[in-house]
Amino acid sequence: MRRRPAKYSAAALAWRGLRGDSWPRVWRDTELKRSYDAVVVGGGVHGLATAYYLARNHGITDVAVVDKAYLGSGASGRNTAIVRANYLTPEGVAFYDRSLQLYNSMATDLNINVMFSERGHLTLAHSDAALRTMNWRAEVNKLQGVNSSVIDPDEIKKIAPALDTSDHPRHPILGALYHPPGGIVRHDAVVWGYARAADHMGVEMHQKTEVLDILCTGGDGPDGKGAGGRVTGVRTNRGDISTPVVVNCTAGWAGLISAMAGVRLPITTHPLQAAVTEPVKVFLNTVVVSGSLHVYISQTDRGELVFGAAVDPVATYSIRGSLEFTEELAGHVLELMPGISRMRLLRQWSGLCDMTPDYSPVMGFTPVDGFLVDVGWGTYGFKAAPVSGEQIAAAVATGKTPELIAPFALSRFDTGDLVGEKGAAAVGH
Amino acid sequence: MTMSRLGSQPTEVIDRSTTLRFRWNGKRFRGFEGDTIASALAAAGEHVFSRSMKYHRPRGMLTADFWDPNLLVQVGDDPNVRAGHRLLESGMDVHPQNVWPSLRHDIKAANGLVARFLTAGFYYKTFMRPQKLWPTYERVLATFAPGGKVDLDTPHRYHDKRYVHPDVVVAGAGPAGIEAALAAAAAGARVILVEHEHAVGGHLRYSSAESARTALSELRAALDASDVEVLTDSTVTGRYEDNWLGIVQRNHPIAVERLIKARAKVLVVAPGLIERPFVFAGNDRPGVITSGAVRRLINLWGVKPGERAVVFSANSEGDAAAADLDRVGVEVAAVIDGREGRRVSAAQGPPKALEAVVAGGTRTDADLLVVAAGWTAPTSLLNMAGDRPVYDPDAARFFPSDPPSNVLATGGLAGDGSLDELRAHGAATGRLAAQRASAVAHRLQARTARALEVTGDEPDWAADERTPLGRSPHPELYRSDTHGMIDLSEDVGSKDLVAAAREGYDSVELAKRYTTATMGSAQGKLETVNTVAAIAEARGETIAQVGTTVWRPPYAPLTLGALAGRVFEPVRVSSIHPWHEANGVHTILAGQWIRPDHYGDPAAEVRNVRTNVGLIDVTPLGKLDLRGPDIPNLLNLLYTNKWSKLPVGKVRYGMMCAEDGVVLDDGVTGRLGEDHYLMTTTSSGAASVWEWVENWLQTERPDWRVHVTPVTTAYTSINVAGPKSRELVSRVTTGVDLSPEAFAYMEVRTATVAGVAGCFMWRIGFTCELSFEIHVPAGHGLHVWEALMEAGADLGVGPFGLEGQRIMRLEKGHFIVGQDTDGLTLGPSTGLSPLIKLDKDDFAGMPELAWAADRQLPMIVAIQPDDPGVVPEEAAQIVRGDTNEILGRITSSRMSPTLGRSICLGQVEPELAAGGTKLTVLLTSGQRISATVIDHHAHFDPDGERLRG
Repeated sequence: MRRRPAKYSAAALAWRGLRGDSWPRVWRDTELKRSYDAVVVGGGVHGLATAYYLARNHGITDVAVVDKAYLGSGASGRNTAIVRANYLTPEGVAFYDRSLQLYNSMATDLNINVMFSERGHLTLAHSDAALRTMNWRAEVNKLQGVNSSVIDPDEIKKIAPALDTSDHPRHPILGALYHPPGGIVRHDAVVWGYARAADHMGVEMHQKTEVLDILCTGGDGPDGKGAGGRVTGVRTNRGDISTPVVVNCTAGWAGLISAMAGVRLPITTHPLQAAVTEPVKVFLNTVVVSGSLHVYISQTDRGELVFGAAVDPVATYSIRGSLEFTEELAGHVLELMPGISRMRLLRQWSGLCDMTPDYSPVMGFTPVDGFLVDVGWGTYGFKAAPVSGEQIAAAVATGKTPELIAPFALSRFDTGDLVGEKGAAAVGH
Repeated sequence: MTMSRLGSQPTEVIDRSTTLRFRWNGKRFRGFEGDTIASALAAAGEHVFSRSMKYHRPRGMLTADFWDPNLLVQVGDDPNVRAGHRLLESGMDVHPQNVWPSLRHDIKAANGLVARFLTAGFYYKTFMRPQKLWPTYERVLATFAPGGKVDLDTPHRYHDKRYVHPDVVVAGAGPAGIEAALAAAAAGARVILVEHEHAVGGHLRYSSAESARTALSELRAALDASDVEVLTDSTVTGRYEDNWLGIVQRNHPIAVERLIKARAKVLVVAPGLIERPFVFAGNDRPGVITSGAVRRLINLWGVKPGERAVVFSANSEGDAAAADLDRVGVEVAAVIDGREGRRVSAAQGPPKALEAVVAGGTRTDADLLVVAAGWTAPTSLLNMAGDRPVYDPDAARFFPSDPPSNVLATGGLAGDGSLDELRAHGAATGRLAAQRASAVAHRLQARTARALEVTGDEPDWAADERTPLGRSPHPELYRSDTHGMIDLSEDVGSKDLVAAAREGYDSVELAKRYTTATMGSAQGKLETVNTVAAIAEARGETIAQVGTTVWRPPYAPLTLGALAGRVFEPVRVSSIHPWHEANGVHTILAGQWIRPDHYGDPAAEVRNVRTNVGLIDVTPLGKLDLRGPDIPNLLNLLYTNKWSKLPVGKVRYGMMCAEDGVVLDDGVTGRLGEDHYLMTTTSSGAASVWEWVENWLQTERPDWRVHVTPVTTAYTSINVAGPKSRELVSRVTTGVDLSPEAFAYMEVRTATVAGVAGCFMWRIGFTCELSFEIHVPAGHGLHVWEALMEAGADLGVGPFGLEGQRIMRLEKGHFIVGQDTDGLTLGPSTGLSPLIKLDKDDFAGMPELAWAADRQLPMIVAIQPDDPGVVPEEAAQIVRGDTNEILGRITSSRMSPTLGRSICLGQVEPELAAGGTKLTVLLTSGQRISATVIDHHAHFDPDGERLRG
């Protein structure tokens, strides 16, 4: 069911403002049907992008996106919204570069301003070893046509005057990998934009719809689950849905959802914490990342500094923040920008990350026919949402694994062809 | 409204004999000791303090306390200072924030004219085309960022932290909180009472009633006589797992702000209630003020808040405000009683002032509108403890539901009552807290390994037998029949929220994200419930159905400086460092260490080592002292090779892999005695390998008897390398036969060197020369170094640095973990497959390495450019011919002074690993050069004759 969208534009804002008209719902509130061509579990950026591209690129519109809370309630609304393509491996670079392209045209594609701020991305090197890795990444990026280069402290100071580039012994800034196309995006707008655009093409969004089980037949495990079987439906808190295709886009809960289909994933879930300061007038116009200090910093257009760090060391599903996180974070931030010690921390929060052994995602088909995964996104899922959705949708529609995501197949953990993004992705925001 | 200073008030906190001078907005002002910045300004007649975020509307005083969204100012280099809370100091330079060009004339106020187009979230719907203009739009939007200015030269001042382990922490020193603290202390508990305001007493402080004043002095006297530690101007910012509390102390005499970390056995939450604004047309106009603010202004600071007031009251606080106004001579023109169903509809007037109040169709002239519309329960700390508060429509606020049993609520948060009832509830809470704390204390003592002997049984977990507080009925007052502002700090109105909910952003979280309501300076303390009410209204649901947002830490913002505290991370130098500095060293940073890189000419240092003898300071080398009978088991588990039969006096090289088979570290371990080994790690791996070892011992093999002590800094390590090294070492060493027959390659001895006993000496080397590595007790490191230098003067001894060592190890073809390997390099890729013993019972990484054994893996190989004068950069990619297909990379490269040519290590695809293979190396300049893989890793002395000499 296609609907004529209410187009967003300055003129429309003016018109509705003058007439005092309200805007139509951004997505419909519909009854949950008993059957769909495909069910996407997880209403975050990955699930919504998958649904959007199923409808837009493949005409598969009888799709339900189900989420146990509200759209964007998980990692999609908790990440620090950084995008970049300066990865370490050719596979990684090609993949994220495509994602960046999709982010670039997203505002016009989806007709919603996702506020992609292409403000550049600095990964700081505090040691010779780090500088060597930056050089390596720059060389790989160059070969892949990605704009990234190593710059010296003087150039860094010009781009981010708040950084302490002086010669000092503790965590000196010796250089940085500078990636001009990187930046930040308004993460919520991406969620809403995909949901709205998918809705216009007939996809249904169902919030507060929790998946309790995945129904299978023919598998080698109990209840027909497991290898060799196929998906027949999904059991939710609002009743059973029959469907031949289930796509698992549930990030931190990916292992639990996959287990419902009898598919084991090499994933452990770790919390990742973040925090934001009170706003001050904008003084930082680029994204700053320090791998060895485990911190990344950007300033929003609202003036808040947004901080992120490495995942918590302990695997857990708890998302209560810790005091230690804020202490360590503040210490590390002040190592980089000693002048902001009087800024105040306003809020901290935590999200869940689905970590894989090689710090790369798991995408595509599983031993259960009709059960696809788009998981293992760890701390880097937001950057990859558009391309992941596009590629997973293609996999669903064609029944074949697209070349771009072939390196990320689940089977690599059996064959051993791991993807080596540990170095670049571990804290590489 | 015109404010002015009243005559002396019986409850005032200002010292009228001490005048403080300060500047506001460039002009000179005066206030009294005890004033807040805002009260001093108000007394001086100021009534506009800021401009709002989006529409730049003039804003006056609303709550006159920490949470007032309109009173954020810049004080010197300190942005976003709460002028309603921060005490005035002499010489303060205070500026308004968010004004352009000035507080009086703000050009952005023009936005107010087009407000109907700037509905919440409008920016998501525009600025999309042309795409290339978005950066410009973005810059303009960014100028609307609220907040003060950061001076990037602000120093990181003194911020030491404090750690405490009290029995009971009471958050909030109102009457109930004070009683709780007193009762807990009386029961023997160690108590810390934390008060957000500058003095204890809560609402009693600004009540002019005789009974309140009596009660307050009683409570203060009792506190003074008790052992309760009272922290004022301090806030419990967060409650984390197991009652781990963050407390920020803002009035420490030395620290700008101090973070106190408390492990409380029981937390009592008694923050009182926060007065909730009412939503109506013009509710953000200067002159509209909460009843609490009026009472604080009059009773604490002696400020007359206006001339002619209308009071909208739905509770006793509003009535008391009206009485206070009347008492100090403010004409109360009308009282609109919310309990009788009456509502204020509009506040009218020119932009910066209030002229009249409309209610029930009647217009009353006034310059002050006092609003007492109800309360928000600040349940943050309970939320952080996992509680989900429940809304009670009869009392028109949220109440705790089921906090964990070591978190107790009292005071207004828990219910309503007379002062006596509140005090009694507080006291009962304090007694309960003390009882439960004693049970926790007993349990902790009994279950701690090093506990003192515990006497008696664990006390029972005391049942909660407190008489619950009642709940006074209160009208549900959220919005009038007009629309107004809900979030004053974000300029989000009730219309915005209703529109957002209708548009589909109809859960609190979605609406919050879409409109930014509750995201500002007060983090929802004033606006959350009104936000929920607006959404409930739009959805036709109740507040209980819509629910509330999750309150996250911190309860009140605190500075990054306080959180960071002092930096404890050391910068390390070895005991020889003074010598290096005196001898022209060029240093390099390696982790925490400042190390000699070279002393002017690294190539000459290499030549000297190859022909004579050189000394290098290798102190950062990680060193672990291992003791115990199970060491061979541990070494067998951690290294890939075998360790069961290492004799005393021998050392062995080993490689460690992580559980995924990836190379983790390498180094030598020597057996010093029967149950005594010294393990060395790479310098960069010193800390992580220690953690790795402890992790295995503590979590996997606690049964093994091995004791590990990191001794990296306890020994100064000196490597003596070169053909004349034996001669040199023998001149200063006693007690050991250094002849090749008696002390062979890969052996270890304990020796006396330059008179220093207890030095460990082993024959190993990274340089491919005959070498002796000496580990000297650190206090004698410099002495031994100087003795070696002196003794070897005629041998041509000289120092060499890290650069020289790196050149020589590359000549020898030794890989460096983390440089020549990366996060995916499996053990066999290093070429050390013979050291991976898959016939062992088990070792870390064994399953992965067994799997890898039959596979073609990328390999580390030695590479020589065909043009000996070209040194490819460490990062240069190895590609296929003229294409950009990556087949490997150069990981190490140097010009070899020994061979007079460029030499490299690199990682290549398996099919390129055979000696003689021709490679194309893409230099960073873009030039492609040819290079050849050589047969073995060593470019120099492949048979190791020099090393074993």
